[in-house]
Amino acid sequence: MNYPVWELTTAGGGLLIALIAVFHVYIAHFAVGGGLFLVLTEIKGHRQGSTAILDYTKRHAWFFMLLTMVAGGITGVGIWFIIALLHPSATSVLIHNFVFGWAAEWVFFFCEILALFIYYYTFGKMEKKNHLIIGWLYFLFAWLSLFLINGIVAFMLTPGTWLETGNFWQGFFNPSFWPSLFFRTFLAVIFAGIFGLLTASFIKDREVKKNLVRYCALWMIVPLVLLLLSTGWYLSSLPREAADMILGKNPEIIPFAKGFIIISAVIFLTGLAAAVKMPGSTGKPLAFVLLAIGLMYMGSFEWVREAGRRPYVIYQHMYSNAIMPSQEKMINANGILKTARWVEYKEITEDNALEAGRRIFYLECAACHSIDGYSNDILPLTKPFTVFGMDSMLNGLGRINAYMPPFMGTDQERLALARYIVEGLHKKKKPVPSPKVNQVPLEPLPLFDENEDEYLVLAWNSLGMTCIIDSYPFWILMPMGNTISAQLIRRGELPEIVATSVDMTYEVEKGFENPSASVDFWRFAEELSDLDQPLALNTGLTGNSTSGKMQFNELSNAYEASKVPVTPYSEGKGYHPYPVFTITARDKTSGDILARTKMVAPVSTETGCRKCHGGPWRVDNRAGISDETAREILAVHDRKNKTDLLAEAEFGRPKTCYTCHSRSGQDKAGRENMLNLSTAIHGWHANFLTGRDESACSSCHPSDKNGSTACLRGVHASMGLTCINCHGTLEDHALSLLKHEKSLNKKGADRLMTHLSPREVSSVEDINPRMPWEQEPDCLNCHLDFEPPETDSAFNIWTETSAGLFKARTGDGGIRCAACHGTPHAVYPAFNMYAKNRDNMQPIQYQGSPIPLGGDRNCAVCHRVEMDYPLHHPNMEKMFRNTYLIDEE
Amino acid sequence: MNISSLIPVPDFIPLDWPWFQFFLILTFFLHLLAMNLMLGSAIIAAAERFKRHDKALDLDKPIAKRLPFIIAFAVNLGVAPLLFLQVLYGHFMYTSSILMAVYWLSVIGLVILAYYGAYIYAYRKTEDGKTFIITAIALLLLVIGFLFTCNMTLMITPENWPAYFTHANGRFLPLKDPVLIPRYLHFVLSALAVAGLFHAALGVWKKKTDQTDTSLGNNGIKWFFYATLLQIPVGIWFLAALPRPVMLWFMGGSGYATILFAAGMVYSLVCLVFGFQKKIKPAVFTLIPTVMLMVLIRDEMRTAYLNTYFVLDDLVVKPAFSPVIFFSACLIFGAVMVVYMIKLALQAVQEDKK
Repeated sequence: MNYPVWELTTAGGGLLIALIAVFHVYIAHFAVGGGLFLVLTEIKGHRQGSTAILDYTKRHAWFFMLLTMVAGGITGVGIWFIIALLHPSATSVLIHNFVFGWAAEWVFFFCEILALFIYYYTFGKMEKKNHLIIGWLYFLFAWLSLFLINGIVAFMLTPGTWLETGNFWQGFFNPSFWPSLFFRTFLAVIFAGIFGLLTASFIKDREVKKNLVRYCALWMIVPLVLLLLSTGWYLSSLPREAADMILGKNPEIIPFAKGFIIISAVIFLTGLAAAVKMPGSTGKPLAFVLLAIGLMYMGSFEWVREAGRRPYVIYQHMYSNAIMPSQEKMINANGILKTARWVEYKEITEDNALEAGRRIFYLECAACHSIDGYSNDILPLTKPFTVFGMDSMLNGLGRINAYMPPFMGTDQERLALARYIVEGLHKKKKPVPSPKVNQVPLEPLPLFDENEDEYLVLAWNSLGMTCIIDSYPFWILMPMGNTISAQLIRRGELPEIVATSVDMTYEVEKGFENPSASVDFWRFAEELSDLDQPLALNTGLTGNSTSGKMQFNELSNAYEASKVPVTPYSEGKGYHPYPVFTITARDKTSGDILARTKMVAPVSTETGCRKCHGGPWRVDNRAGISDETAREILAVHDRKNKTDLLAEAEFGRPKTCYTCHSRSGQDKAGRENMLNLSTAIHGWHANFLTGRDESACSSCHPSDKNGSTACLRGVHASMGLTCINCHGTLEDHALSLLKHEKSLNKKGADRLMTHLSPREVSSVEDINPRMPWEQEPDCLNCHLDFEPPETDSAFNIWTETSAGLFKARTGDGGIRCAACHGTPHAVYPAFNMYAKNRDNMQPIQYQGSPIPLGGDRNCAVCHRVEMDYPLHHPNMEKMFRNTYLIDEE
Repeated sequence: MNISSLIPVPDFIPLDWPWFQFFLILTFFLHLLAMNLMLGSAIIAAAERFKRHDKALDLDKPIAKRLPFIIAFAVNLGVAPLLFLQVLYGHFMYTSSILMAVYWLSVIGLVILAYYGAYIYAYRKTEDGKTFIITAIALLLLVIGFLFTCNMTLMITPENWPAYFTHANGRFLPLKDPVLIPRYLHFVLSALAVAGLFHAALGVWKKKTDQTDTSLGNNGIKWFFYATLLQIPVGIWFLAALPRPVMLWFMGGSGYATILFAAGMVYSLVCLVFGFQKKIKPAVFTLIPTVMLMVLIRDEMRTAYLNTYFVLDDLVVKPAFSPVIFFSACLIFGAVMVVYMIKLALQAVQEDKK
């Protein structure tokens, strides 16, 4: 923002800081503990009257001086150089706030150098007492250096009340100051033992060596115990979020935290072995291995500490990318390019989009991410993404990935960054668009003679926008199946719903009779659905096949066949999401056909998971979940929720989402206290898809009118209404579900809600909670008393139970709403992209027009005569209003 | 491009800027002496070895013995001015460092090499390869010095900064800046002069005489004299290469700067005269204030350079006094301890001699 960014690639992402810092800090801790080691070993030499020990001490002091003063001292300046190059803003904060702390440290550094020179060069020449005083002074100055640096380093992790006051002392003696000081002091002593062991391994005299190796081993073991005790204290001094990061929330930390624990044990055991078992034979290789392990120990600790600070470089004061949280709003309003000083592009154009994206990458990402490098390499992390997916990922940063700062800038800038990563770094070409949908001509409809025919059958399906997800070898979102319903009406002045003496059958159109050929559902159905025996091919979970008999359901007053297996893959026609079913009513006794009609049972696999999770479409470059996509989804789930779904699936044990996430939150399935499925999915993804229109919905659901399904195809869609008019924006929609789960104290609801703001209403309090599937917006929200609507928003008033849903409701007289108005999301007149009247077959068959059954006062279609009373619902006697939709035909 | 828009916003400072200016000048003066001694000593030792005359080792040996100490203190004394410089001019210096990041960071590696080289040079038992080692050390230090000159020049010339847009990889050096070479040479020559005089003075001090006819004194003072003499053409070049407003700053543009500049010239000439006369002690007593004058002139030069972009009064002060009291206490404690430790050390050396 304020400073230019040194544009590194392979060596980027903080690698240089890590390398220099870990090397330096290792030696610097040794420089403190080693000082104590020198004095105490010299005292030991004097006490035991051992010139061999004194000689060893002098030799060790020489090694100590060369290592700490040259490599240690200069790399200390090196850290300062490198942090100023990579984090100039943070360095500036540290320098300006703590200048006199640094200056005091410089004084002690000077004294350290002088004391060490004198200590070494007068070894054996100075009076014993004075020499020890010099040694003690060296240790004092070295430890005071640690004292000061510790204050400033700890400040970065726990600035405490400094955040409010800016007070030097409050910043310095911050909450983790003391535990960190003790921790580091013990660490310094351990390192003194490790380095002591190294020089001791060169001693030739076996007895002296034995004596000193044992002595050094104690230096490793005793402080290690104290160090581990101080670790608990240290952790408890951290803010909860930072401690959470360290304890596993930040995936970056886990290997290092584990490393720290393992190395603790290794040091302890090696020390123990060296002390007890084989002090005389402790060789140089072991000493060098231990030295390397010590470096890793230091590295693990520093990495954990640094990463615990995420997403900040100075906790809650400055993000890792040098942007202050307080600048976020301003940057989002004005744009990062206009805010940053060192960018030449202030506006994004088509020509400079990739270059501008590159600059944004360096401004916002490069502090932690390398490109094809060793530190948080951006390439594998973003490999699956399309531009849309990358953009959404950036959208979600800082919301669920709390260890990363949010993306800051305009939507256009976010897109430019996404394009730079996807098209610039990964060199991905723009995806080939799905081929245009081929029209499939409608087969002739059954004939209907309004004068002669005694019966008519009305049929519909229950599913609206929901699809099947054909990721069966890996996971199953929900069991396959479409519920088909039908009502048979005996025509007459007083028509009758026929419920007995009839055989009602359904039969799928040719090409769709063998769904098992196109999806793997039946391979896993038994285990997934807790069945006692394998499920017969092409049979649904309730025993229905692609053709069969329907049963009359007294409750719903209709014939039904539930969970009829159907896929959008037809033999010969490829992807086709609107298979037609023929419904036939026959007299039970004679077998005569009473009535016959056709209906669509929509089923789509155009589920856009791949847009973010990578991989191709599975079928025809337009639909289906490929294995690659399915795997990636499980990998993300495993990473975020510490599950092992991918491994299980690879072993042939895919899971259904309902195993853990219940369907509605009311049923018994799922795990206790876990979000129901719809809430988990919508709540999670809403965080990545904020601020958008209905395109947020169509990024997963098959509702995109330019897609291969265009599932939103009813009259409302034709009039320009979108998902949002009924369901709210994705944020509103997700919040309504989350609020319900929150009221049940479900785990995770709060976390997903934290960063979501409602858009249709002014606050989260105003959102009405709802259960998925059971509570949906009611048609009557807009069509008050069945009148023409005065509003176009049905959001936020939900049906009380599933009985109030459009698909379940019945008008007066026992006729189901869907019987006359059609399937949800395809209410008449609906327009289908595969054939205009595919969804209007029944109104066309029975009345020659696509408007709802009985529309335009066509009561005769059932009653044979005109009627003068709106029996089924008020206002039904009026003429169809939106005739322009039909006229356009 | 509007250069001013590139200049970062500085952080606030905890005390009025003259405090930091004072610490900066004081500690930079000490660093400059140590740094001159380090660089000059290394070049002189290398050059003396190349001469291969009998007395060459007169200078070589004491330098070999002292170089590790000199480097240690040159580095340490560099830390403080770098700190105070960042307090006042960090927003300029961080920027210039980033522009030449690769080279700037390499300084660390180069110093480590030179430093370890100095130990090898000091403690190597045979003469084999020592010429190579000290030459390498001298070259390393020359490169380091050059990189410092580059950065210190780049930080005060924001006009060079738009180079970032073509050199964001941290590989820019202001090689085309007309001031760079004379400025660098000016420092190298001063290093030779200071180092030459130091070793001459140390030789004289040890022998408790002001005789200059010892080879050590002769040799050292010669380096001092010729290096200072060469400063005349290099100084003129440097002055002429300065941007006109900066040059005029010292020619009456600023009364204070003009007086400093004039005093600097007079002192330099006096140094030259004492050098010519081989009067070591008077030369030392003239050189020290001369170096201080140069530090002040250098500081004024920076002010003049940055004048159009930034003045120290622009810095916002959020006063906090207790930290400086804490620092002062540490400084006094440190100074007492330094004196005490040196006392013990000298005592030990004397006892050892007995």
